[in-house]
Amino acid sequence: MSLRTQACSERPCSRQCRSVGARACTCDQFKLTTLYNLNINKEMDPFFLAVSRFNRQRYDDCITICTQMLEKNPYDQAAWLLKCRALTKKSWIDDLEIDEEGVADILMDENAINNAPRPGTSFSRPLTSAQPGGISQVMRPMSNAGRPITGYQRPGTNRPVTSSTSRANLSTALQGQRPGTTRPVTSGGRMLRLGTASMQQQGGQFIMADKLNAKNVAKKKHIAKAVVDYLIYVESNFRRALDIASEATLLQGYNDWWWKARIGKCQFKMGLIKDAEKQFLSSLKNQDMVSLHLELAKVAVRQDQPQKAIEVFNTGLKTHAFETHLITGIARVHDMLNDPAKAITFYKKILVFDNSNIESIAQLASYHFYTDQPEVALRFYRRLVQCGVNSPELWNNMGLCCFYASQYDMALGCFDRALTMADDIAAADVWYNVGHVGIGIGDLGLAYQAFKIAVSHNPNHAESFNNLGVLELRRGNIEQAKNNYIQSSKIANYLFEPCFNAALLMLKKGEFQESYSMANQAVQIYPDHADSKELLKNLNQHFSVM
Amino acid sequence: MEEDVGVTSGIRAMPVSMIVKKPSFQSAVINLKEKFNWLIHVLFLRQEYDECSRIIDETLHESKGRSEYALYAKALILRVKGNIHESLELFKKCHMLNPTYIDYLKQFGRSLYLLGRHKAAVEVFDECLNIDQNDWETYLFKGLSYKYMRIYDQAIKCFRKANEIHPNDQTYLELGKLFAAQQDYKSAVEVYLEGLEYSPENPELLTTIGLVYIRLGENFQAFQFLGNSLTLDPKNPKSILAAGSIIQDKSDHDAALLKYRIAAVYNPDSAELWNNIGMCFFGKQKYVAAIACLKRALYLDPFQWIASFNLGLVYLNTDQYASAFHYFQSAISLKADFSNSYMYLAITLNKLGDFDNSCAAFKKAIELDSNDCTVFLNFAIVLYNNGYTQKAKEIFSEAEKIFQTLEEDDREPEMMDQRELLMEALGVAQ
Repeated sequence: MSLRTQACSERPCSRQCRSVGARACTCDQFKLTTLYNLNINKEMDPFFLAVSRFNRQRYDDCITICTQMLEKNPYDQAAWLLKCRALTKKSWIDDLEIDEEGVADILMDENAINNAPRPGTSFSRPLTSAQPGGISQVMRPMSNAGRPITGYQRPGTNRPVTSSTSRANLSTALQGQRPGTTRPVTSGGRMLRLGTASMQQQGGQFIMADKLNAKNVAKKKHIAKAVVDYLIYVESNFRRALDIASEATLLQGYNDWWWKARIGKCQFKMGLIKDAEKQFLSSLKNQDMVSLHLELAKVAVRQDQPQKAIEVFNTGLKTHAFETHLITGIARVHDMLNDPAKAITFYKKILVFDNSNIESIAQLASYHFYTDQPEVALRFYRRLVQCGVNSPELWNNMGLCCFYASQYDMALGCFDRALTMADDIAAADVWYNVGHVGIGIGDLGLAYQAFKIAVSHNPNHAESFNNLGVLELRRGNIEQAKNNYIQSSKIANYLFEPCFNAALLMLKKGEFQESYSMANQAVQIYPDHADSKELLKNLNQHFSVM
Repeated sequence: MEEDVGVTSGIRAMPVSMIVKKPSFQSAVINLKEKFNWLIHVLFLRQEYDECSRIIDETLHESKGRSEYALYAKALILRVKGNIHESLELFKKCHMLNPTYIDYLKQFGRSLYLLGRHKAAVEVFDECLNIDQNDWETYLFKGLSYKYMRIYDQAIKCFRKANEIHPNDQTYLELGKLFAAQQDYKSAVEVYLEGLEYSPENPELLTTIGLVYIRLGENFQAFQFLGNSLTLDPKNPKSILAAGSIIQDKSDHDAALLKYRIAAVYNPDSAELWNNIGMCFFGKQKYVAAIACLKRALYLDPFQWIASFNLGLVYLNTDQYASAFHYFQSAISLKADFSNSYMYLAITLNKLGDFDNSCAAFKKAIELDSNDCTVFLNFAIVLYNNGYTQKAKEIFSEAEKIFQTLEEDDREPEMMDQRELLMEALGVAQ
């Protein structure tokens, strides 16, 4: 923020000069008002205009004006600085929120401190339904990353369960409804768009990062800050940014929290987690900032230490008691540990400070829905509508709540509304739920058709395939049922239902080999499923009889 | 001298049958092929499959794949691990090496059976019978293959034959299952009871008998067997659920809930369990808890018509007729031939003020089961309440006819009260 005011106050005199010139024109003639207006436009100080555009967040316009100015005078520092800021702002991303490891990072993940953590103390071993507080996979369905469905979709909710045993889950990253978007492929993560990663270095480069002299840049205090931000947010060139930042912090006598925070950010991005943590801690001593606490928690999360992350948030809350970001952080950690009951207390706390926090409301709603309280969930969803959220997902959820609260007339209306604004992927989900309503009221014809439509919207809708299989079986079409189950289990390796169903069907047909492999798959996905275990026991008996 | 001692001690450690089979231990060829058989056997029994596979591979390598026992053990291990295709090939190889030995052929047949190629399996078992007429296992497996081919009479013949040669629990269980599948529960019970004489402490057999008795409506008998089963295997969720439901039928809801609590630990996702728990709460007149449990049952298994039906009942009792109507309706569309659903639907419709449809529903219920006193009684009450006294009298006389045939136990007190009230109102003499 300090940068921007600096840039504006540099040339007040030149602006005055030109405005005087403009005033001189007014003496000419009364007739030429239109012309006179034009003149003013032509003569208006381009830098003033650029700053104004910048403040109005019209960064593209600002950049064009600055570029024109720089063409005239390549040594115009103010224009250069403003352009640098505008470029940075244009591709600015709130990286505190969207930290997500790329596929490669997870595969090579060696940051975890504990290799054999106890359940509940690691993201890779979250609570299961067997433990108190855990979620039953039957009650709460899974997302395609193998996590319980959350009420609010953000990058972190797709985090796969990464541990040495379940590395295979990584394959989910490139599957699903929108392959490749469930998880970033490159280590740049969400910082770079997929297509642009390779084109980064080509054409129209504003700063030649490799030709910068770190020491010289660091000496120019304010320019240095802009340059470092540019390198981080636009070019993702963390190494050069780190060079400059380390020179700068040296010049400041290690007393500027901002530089330390930037060094930490660069090191974090480069994977030097331990060094980053040191920088953040030392920066925190200079100045207690909320963002630093968040960064520190990110470090703990990356090291797979959820308890420590919560501790970091709690220390932050001592000085910033009403900071919802910190509370949200705690809630998310609990969520990732599959402990929604604890998370929910924090989401409630957030609502005390910020009563239209969309994430909290959505999470509370889904929690109540999956704990058999559809009426309460409905109230939260209605609050979301009041907050101005208007998405097919929301109307779909309202429809489901209405259905489970036995308000059938409302339910179908909600689904109708969801369908009118849904795209193909969402429409498939809505139709899937309509199918469930069909089963619920016993209208199996409607259910069958709804599932068929869901599959036609999204050929990868595994849940619909599974349910189609069940309906086919009720109609007596055994072969079609089997095909549907197998199709479903192929698409989604996070669903245990199709595997179990297929295993049961094969067992009844006497095809023990296939039944065995399917039952095994089901138990792998959901280790606590009593029926699958019973089935496997049965099969093992068959196999071990001499 | 020392070497000799080593050999003798080695022989002592071997199973007796092995020594008898291979007396000429000096022969180098046999040593090569068979010397580790005892180790393979021991490891297999200890279920140390990895180590066992290693030894087998070594043996097979040395004997160039001609060691029968190693091949046989390998095939067994593969089958235990679920690779039936591969085990099938190995059993085939064993059979080629020693075509007269019945075990290889039998296991070959079993593998075919496990793969679902039942026709081929039956052929192989027939071949087995050519070698040995008196092998009960062959008959059992042949019967199983027939069962999956749905040739039931042949299957029953095979099972009976197997039992003649050597009675075995599994044969009895399979035979009973066959009868149960053909809805011949009486014969099934006979078979099970016969099996029980040979092994009185088989919990699976006991549970199965209990379940069949429940199906036959003989709750007392059923409870005895289930109780016996539970003393032997107190954690079997199936027996717990069945025993609980019988206790529940006797209106001892707290004891039933206690039983369900045990079962819930092992299978918290069972829709039947939640349904029963819900009805326990209903019996204790805790309607909100009942609705919550029944709804959970319905969430877990939306196809379960009985949960829908029960929910309808609870709503009817809490005077929420519109909801009750929906649930009865969905219960009927999932299972259309249950007369009680129609009766309660009729009552609900009457409460909702739709007398015509209510009558239609009563008629449908009578059409499905014309031997149920309550249906007629309720119909008569509804007719009387709507002012059709004459018609009510007719229906009531029908109810009376059935009522006279009822035994004392089946005359529920609530039914008696309603009957007397209606008698008074209609002016019919006792």
